[in-house]
Amino acid sequence: MSNKALAAGLGSCPKCHKLNVMHASRQVCSRCLTLFSARKPKSIEYTLAWTIAALVMFIPANIYPMMVFYTFGKPEASTILEGIAIFIQMGMLPVAVIIFIASFVVPLGKIIGLFTLMYNTKRKTQLTLKQQGQLYHIVEFLGPWSMLDVFVVTVMAAVVNLGFLSSIEPAVGITYFTLMVVFTIFAAESFDPRLLWDNHQKHNHQSLSEKTYKNTDVLHHDK
Amino acid sequence: MKNHSVVNNMIACHQCDSLLPMPYLLEGQNALCGCCGAMLFSKKKDAINRTIAVAIAGLLLFFPATLLPIIGIGAAGLYNDASLVDCITLLIDSRNYVLAFAVFMFTIAIPVVRLITALYITWCIKFQQIKPSLLVFFRSYHVLDTWTMLHVFFLGVIVSMYKLSSLADMTIDGGLFSLILLLLCSTLMSVTIDQHSIWHELEKSLEQ
Ligand SMILES: [Zn+2]
Ligand SMILES: [Zn+2]
Repeated sequence: MSNKALAAGLGSCPKCHKLNVMHASRQVCSRCLTLFSARKPKSIEYTLAWTIAALVMFIPANIYPMMVFYTFGKPEASTILEGIAIFIQMGMLPVAVIIFIASFVVPLGKIIGLFTLMYNTKRKTQLTLKQQGQLYHIVEFLGPWSMLDVFVVTVMAAVVNLGFLSSIEPAVGITYFTLMVVFTIFAAESFDPRLLWDNHQKHNHQSLSEKTYKNTDVLHHDK
Repeated sequence: MKNHSVVNNMIACHQCDSLLPMPYLLEGQNALCGCCGAMLFSKKKDAINRTIAVAIAGLLLFFPATLLPIIGIGAAGLYNDASLVDCITLLIDSRNYVLAFAVFMFTIAIPVVRLITALYITWCIKFQQIKPSLLVFFRSYHVLDTWTMLHVFFLGVIVSMYKLSSLADMTIDGGLFSLILLLLCSTLMSVTIDQHSIWHELEKSLEQ
């Protein structure tokens, strides 16, 4: 088992990655003066709160329309999934796939990924540490890409503005959607990946000591 | 001072917290964690000069990229085009304030501040004018990196173009080219800037 900074009484600064000798649970980095702890304080609590907030926002984001399309003054509202259905009807399959992935699969996948990561910091799991690290990387990397549909609607609304003939207006669903994306990014930022390795180490130690305990038990019985 | 040498000659992985000896890198090399494979840091070639160049180019490109129209459409004798700033003012007019704020922050405010921050710090290091206030500036750089969404906005423009080309006559305007170049500068900056060396430089200069 390799050395951990925490066990050595050291902590690395989250901003500049300088190694510090930890004198207190919260202290100022010797290099960049950031106030930090060896582990992000209340990491799981914050991650859980932001993830739940994102999950709650996911519901109105899908129920309410993202945009309203006016042709000759006649409004036609469409939600995320309806918008995708329109794309498929128009034969624009590649765009439909991109939008479906960016605004439906990715946000939901991120929320599920965050719950999986949080679970993995508490319990013993089937996933290897490498897979958990990769999952964290994916969740972190995907963050801003879910904003795609928001930008599409923004650009469309600004460009398609031909008065009575046709115009597009963003609708309330998109605000919920934006909040959901922002909340998932906050959640990923609050998560401390080192907790995954801490948990792994703890479980390995526990199972080792459990085994030795059982062995001594057997010996006692033999006597 | 045993502790002093430990904190200066060791590094902890920010992903798995493994304590590792500080690797010595040549230009262009990356240091990876031996335990989990996460990238610890990398040493960049001619980082200061390149970052200054890219940041100045990016800042200059910001004006055409945000003010010039990106795309336009025409149908039945009517024509309309929109720039990035138009997108935001339109969102404010239609009272989508949260959305307007988010789009403004992710595509204009944060990318600009990020370029200014990088330029200011590399400029001060190049001309040996290091002051403690730089620490505050550079600490914010990491956060700005997370929230810069020019690349996503650009993909959004591409998808919109695809969508619009089937609905009406679409024209491409100068804003789009500026946006492509700006995106290039913004992305290049993540490649040229050497965060590890900058922190090291700041620490060394402020200690004296
Ligand atoms: Zn620091
Ligand atoms: Zn590691």
